[in-house]
This record gives sequence, structure tokens and C-alpha cells, in this order.
Amino acid sequence: MRNISLFLRSVAKSFLVTVLLTLALSAATKAQDAAAGAAIFKSRCTACHKLDAKSVGPALAGVNDRHKKEWLHKWIKNSQAMIFDEKDPEAIAIYDQFKPITMTPFPDLSDGDIDNILAYIAAPPATGKKGPVVTEAKEEISDLMIGGLVLVIIVAFIVIMLLNRVTGTLERLVMKNNGVEIPEEVTVDRGAKFKKLFKNKKFVFFTGIIIIIILVSIGTVGMWNTGVHTGYQPTQPIKFSHQLHAGINKIDCRYCHSGAYKSKNASIPSLNVCMNCHNYVTAADNYGGQVSPEIAKIYTALDYNPDTREYGPNKKPIEWVRVHNLPDLAYFNHSQHVVVGGVRCQKCHGPVQTMDELYQYSPLTMKWCINCHRETEVNSKGNAYYDRMIAAHEKIKKGEKMTAAVFGGTECGKCHY
Amino acid sequence: MLAMNKLRITGVIFLTVAAAAVVSSCSDKKSTGWEYARNMYDPLAFNPDQPNKHFANGQTAQTPPAHTMPVGFDEPETDYPNTPEGYQSAGLNLKNPLPLTKANLEEGKMLYAQMCTQCHGLTGKGDGSIVKLEKFPAPPSYSTGQSSRGGGMNELSDGKIFHTITYGVNMMGPHRYQLTPTERWKIVQFVHELQKLQ
Repeated sequence: MRNISLFLRSVAKSFLVTVLLTLALSAATKAQDAAAGAAIFKSRCTACHKLDAKSVGPALAGVNDRHKKEWLHKWIKNSQAMIFDEKDPEAIAIYDQFKPITMTPFPDLSDGDIDNILAYIAAPPATGKKGPVVTEAKEEISDLMIGGLVLVIIVAFIVIMLLNRVTGTLERLVMKNNGVEIPEEVTVDRGAKFKKLFKNKKFVFFTGIIIIIILVSIGTVGMWNTGVHTGYQPTQPIKFSHQLHAGINKIDCRYCHSGAYKSKNASIPSLNVCMNCHNYVTAADNYGGQVSPEIAKIYTALDYNPDTREYGPNKKPIEWVRVHNLPDLAYFNHSQHVVVGGVRCQKCHGPVQTMDELYQYSPLTMKWCINCHRETEVNSKGNAYYDRMIAAHEKIKKGEKMTAAVFGGTECGKCHY
Repeated sequence: MLAMNKLRITGVIFLTVAAAAVVSSCSDKKSTGWEYARNMYDPLAFNPDQPNKHFANGQTAQTPPAHTMPVGFDEPETDYPNTPEGYQSAGLNLKNPLPLTKANLEEGKMLYAQMCTQCHGLTGKGDGSIVKLEKFPAPPSYSTGQSSRGGGMNELSDGKIFHTITYGVNMMGPHRYQLTPTERWKIVQFVHELQKLQ
């Protein structure tokens, strides 16, 4: 009897161990499946699919419940054949929702790969998704703090003065009580002191000079900076960060300011340029799953619904505030400077890729323009305009006949402008 | 005695000048500061970004009337619409009008670097700067990827690439507002080079 129970116990024990082991193993393989699936999902699927929201294609969460495994395998490998050749009703129902977009066929994905992807979709490993972002208190000294500090110091000063007076009076009282003679406080005529000062010619002269110096220097600095907007940093309707877009993301200046190379204006991008990326990028991870409030401003302006990915009729442009304003009396052409002159954007606009909020870097004064024109050497190589000029100079050197036509005197615009 | 006074006077003058300069240079970043003759800054003719009371919507930049075309821009909607048929038709019938020259290819490379590399990467493998940061999904590689509209990415013809740059596809937006047709054709030439990479 005892033997049997012992035997049974050992059997039960080994059974339990095996079950536990297999369970643990299967969990481990499952986790591995999902991890492998995550990698494939990221590289092959995210271009069109999100897990929890509609993108180019449908949201994929719960797809394992909506369709059978075999059907999903077939669909992923070649969905277009299922729609157009086999006329599979389930496939056509999906196509009707997303017409005319069809899904890329993935014949190169193995069954194992697809199983991994489906495992990942069924149970995405908890990534370090951040919860609602608590706006961190930035350690910046605001004007309010400085004001408060000054106020505290003033109050403390007044309190000290008052206390000083009170102790003085108390001391005198104590002394009086002790019967000590106190000389009466001599009241000084303060007015008389001032009157005496004002009669002092040296003093008046000196003060006058100081006042004149102050006024003149304030006036000079004021006039010097009149109309010079260096450092001007207006508040823009959207908190657009050049540091993030041009610095961290390394998006070329010209991607958005596409006019810089071909027109007078560098051009402020219209919202459709923003949407080239922001139809996908909503920075929701940083805002607890909600669209970032700044990106939401683009959507509002375009009357765009990120859930249905459709544009409404009530579009309103964003009113950006112009930072660089050259007076109308001066002509400036971006393409001329950037293409012909080969001037880098940063030469005039400063380190824009490090500016969280854009400010005017250069003074844009005439002196500033002229200085650069005086110092910059012209690269005349491969430039037809300079070739002609050099040819004309050669003619002069040789003493040949020079006509107005050589300098473009026969161009229509010389007379008919 | 006089020498000391002089020193004192120059010291005081220097201090006042410095103080005045510091005080008067403290300006508000949000304001442009003093301006003289503001009317010389504001153009008589309207700048595109200025408000304009002469138009009902208050903008100077108006949407052009339908079917108007800027010089140098095409209107592919008529011949090659943004539909699967338009795409296939563009693939068959649209050919690059530019000759394959070194200059065109160089220009195409520069334009590609400025307009495309942030997603597609310098060599077209789909590993651009914002893809590496995992901010945007990776596009398929030009040389080894599969096109969502059938065939390998390395088989895409002139017209198909042009159609894709013009209208965009899937996550890629339309780029016909940023690039003239000539610029697009130059990029097409360079993309053909990237398709040959292994």
C-alpha cells in the first residue's frame, strides 16, 4: 500500500513538473513569437497598418478573431488574387471599404513569419508606452519669480527698518525708566540740506552732465536699433520647433521651404506639406494616446478627421507671423543667393536647427548686406553671365571695337521694360 | 587732487554709459522694437502672406481658379488620374522627356537628397533619418522591396515612379506641389540608379 502511494506521489510529482515545464516553455516560445513578429510587423506592416487605429489599411487589433487563420495566411500572401480572381466574399467586403487601395502581396513571408506577426497582433508585448504626459516643471526663472524675489527682499527690508525703530524706542523707554538722561533727538532740517546742495554749482553741473550722458547713450542705442529686428522671436500660432524637425529629424530645409532654390521667397510651407508626414505622425505616444495639441491645430485648420482620414470643407489657413521682414525698398531674391551664390541657409538665418522657437539671427541692415557683398568672392566658373563679362573685358584689353550690344544693349527689356 | 578727480569723473561717466546701454538694450523679444517709418517696410503691393481686405476670405494668397496651371507645371489629372488605371497607364505610356546626362543625374541626386532621403535613405533602402528614429514607417527598398501595386520595386518604370512622386501612395504624400515636373523627372532618373543597387 505504502509503496503504491509513494509511487503515485512520485508520478504525480514528475507529471506536475513536466506540465509546469511545458507551460513555461510554451509561454517562452509564445513571447519569442510575438517578439519576432514585432520586428517583422515594424518593417513590413507599419507603412499601412496600425494596431489600434485605421491607417491606410484597417486597424489590426482583433484581426485573429475576425478571420480564420488560414484565410489570413492566404490574404497576406496575395490578397489581390483573392479579391479579383477568386472573388472571396470576405476579401471583397474589405476591398469595398478601402477601394481603390489594395494590399501589397507578401509572397516572401513564410508561414512561420505570418504566425509570428499574428501572435504579435494578438498579444503585443507591452512596450514602454508612456501614460499621459505630466508637463514637467521646467527649471526656468520666469519674470514672475524674479518679481516675487524682489518683492520679498523689499518687504524684508521694510520689516528690518521697522524693527530697528521699535527696538530704538524700546531702548529709550527702558533707559528713561532707569532714570538715565537722554538727549532729545535733534531734528535735522532735511530740506535745508537739499537747498544747500542745489546751490552748489559743482554738484548741479556734475548731475547735469550725468543726466545728459544717460539720455545721449539711451538715445544712441535706441536709434541704432530702430528698425533692426535682431532677436525678434514672435509667438507663432503653432509651437513648431525647427530644432526637432531640422535638427533631430534631419529634414532638409528645402523639403518645406521649397521656394528657396527657385524663387524670390523661400516660402512658408502650406499645410499639405505638413500632412505629408503628419497624416501618420501624431506624437500620440507623448500625449497619452491623444493627438498632440499642436498637431491637432493642423488637423483643425484643414478640417481633417484623423479617425476617418478625411478632409472636410471648412479649411482655414494658419496665420504664421513673419519673422524676417526686409523693407520694401530693398529687393532680395533667395534663389539668386542660394543657387548662384551658394550661400548656406545658416549663414543668414543662423543655427536654425538648434532653435526651438525661431528668432531673427541677422540684423538685415544695409551695413550687414554690404559687408557680405564686400567680402564674398564671386565664383565665376561655369556661369554664362561672367563668361560674357570676361569676354567683353578681353575685347577692351585688345582694343577691339566695343558696342552696347556686347553688354546686352539689344535685349528687349533694356527699352521695353 | 585734480588727477584723482579726473579719474573719478571718467569712472562715473563710464559707469553711467554702461548702465544706460544695458538698460536700453533690454528689449522684448516678442516685439520688433522701435521702428521708424513703418510704411517703408510694408509693401504697397501685397505680399502673399499678408492679410488683404479686398478679398472675401481676407487673404492675399488666393487658390487659383480650377484648371489654371503655373508655368512649368503639368496637370496630370487629365491624362493620368490618381487611380489604379491611371497608374498602370502612366507606367506604360509616360516616358522621361529628359535625356540621361551627367548634369541631370547630378541634379536628380541633389533633389533626391533634399526631398526623399528623410524616409527613403541615401541609397533608397528605406532607412532615412526619420525611419531610423522610428518616427515614420519604413518605405520598401528600391532595390529589394515589393511594390504595393504589384511587382518588385526595382522593376518600376519611369511613369510609375513619376505617378508615385506626383500623387503619393499609401503613407507617402503627394509631392507635386513641392517639385516641378522637370525636377520630378530628374529624381526619376536618379531613382533608376538606386534600383540597380544590390
